[in-house]
Amino acid sequence: MISDIAKNLVELKKEFVKVYDGNSQIQELIPKSTSELFQIEQSHLDLLHEFATKNPIYYNSFEKKIGSVDCIVYEGDINKYWLNSIQHGSSKAPFSPTWIMSGYVGALLAKELGYSDVIDIGSGDGRIAFAAKILGMESYSIEIDNLLVDLQNLLTSTLDFHPFCSDAVAFDYTSLNLTRPIFFIGGLAQMGGISLASGVLNSIQSVSNLEKKTGWVFAGTLSQKYPSDPKNEAGWGTLIDDNNLKILKNISLPTAWTLHESDETLYIFAKSN
Amino acid sequence: MTSAEEISKLFDSESQKLKTLFDTVDSKTTMNIHEIVETYYQVMNVSSMVTMLKSQADSEPNPLLTEIQETEKLISEKFDSIIHPRILAKISSSIQEMTKNLQSGTSGEKSKEQIESDAKLFEELRQTMSTKEFVEQYEKGISHD
Repeated sequence: MISDIAKNLVELKKEFVKVYDGNSQIQELIPKSTSELFQIEQSHLDLLHEFATKNPIYYNSFEKKIGSVDCIVYEGDINKYWLNSIQHGSSKAPFSPTWIMSGYVGALLAKELGYSDVIDIGSGDGRIAFAAKILGMESYSIEIDNLLVDLQNLLTSTLDFHPFCSDAVAFDYTSLNLTRPIFFIGGLAQMGGISLASGVLNSIQSVSNLEKKTGWVFAGTLSQKYPSDPKNEAGWGTLIDDNNLKILKNISLPTAWTLHESDETLYIFAKSN
Repeated sequence: MTSAEEISKLFDSESQKLKTLFDTVDSKTTMNIHEIVETYYQVMNVSSMVTMLKSQADSEPNPLLTEIQETEKLISEKFDSIIHPRILAKISSSIQEMTKNLQSGTSGEKSKEQIESDAKLFEELRQTMSTKEFVEQYEKGISHD
């Protein structure tokens, strides 16, 4: 079912790209209501819309039927956050979000794989942590950029997904009392993701009994714009191999940076071997 | 025409193009991104030809060797020492200025039209930052020579 939702979301995005004629820097859509193609609880969809509506990165929204699906399109601008994030010496990757629906589908898969705590690393506006909270998981959002954490704090009145303004590599994960955690690493391998993931992996490997219970999600790219990894896996092969991880599942989902690309972002779910 | 003559003619033509570009740069107070990239591309193109021809040329004095040495001198004394530092300084100062202006305009409510118009300035900043990275790559090449 999750694979079907992911496939349908990718198809919806392709249809959307054909008909969208606006000028916003980023744009995405969320189905208005549950349907055969998107068998998602209505209350969950309503919360995702609330996240977008309250989120100051979106300055406009409108209803549009894309294919057979009634959607709300959100138009946004992340330039001021980009400007702030590139000025952080320790920021590993500038802010560029996945789609809210993609965050939700990623969290759905994490839950199906049996994880109970989602830690959104380099979380941007915290959308993955928010989506995990909708699904009843415990969630934490770690972001180094103070402007983005201020933004996240505007959204916690709907659901508290525990934003922390911190360098994820230096963060003390033992303070969270994690039981079955899964870490979503923000940023492509080639855009600072390797450095961020390596730092967090080192932290978790130093906590006894946690490493074996921990899952990892890496955002990969097949685009030839980026250098490939000698061990492939959309840029993550060497890191996966070096850390003795095993891939559980891959899922392709739309993101802001792949709107005009033919390949979506490949989310790689892995765990210790 | 022999192959050596063809190469010599090509080198002469590319060197002339480079001199013309340097003269154009001298006459301008600002350069757009296309002009900057074109200038560096031609410098790198001629520098590669210099490296190749030097390895093939006789050590005995001849017109081609003289032209190669003159072109090397032109790149080193005019481009590396004067034009390149000037371009890098200009790009750095543009980035600072654009960043400052954009930062000062990030607060307060804005209309959809204003946000989308400002987005073009952000795009210009991103392009200028990419150009700076490109120019800095050249700088690294000089320092490794």
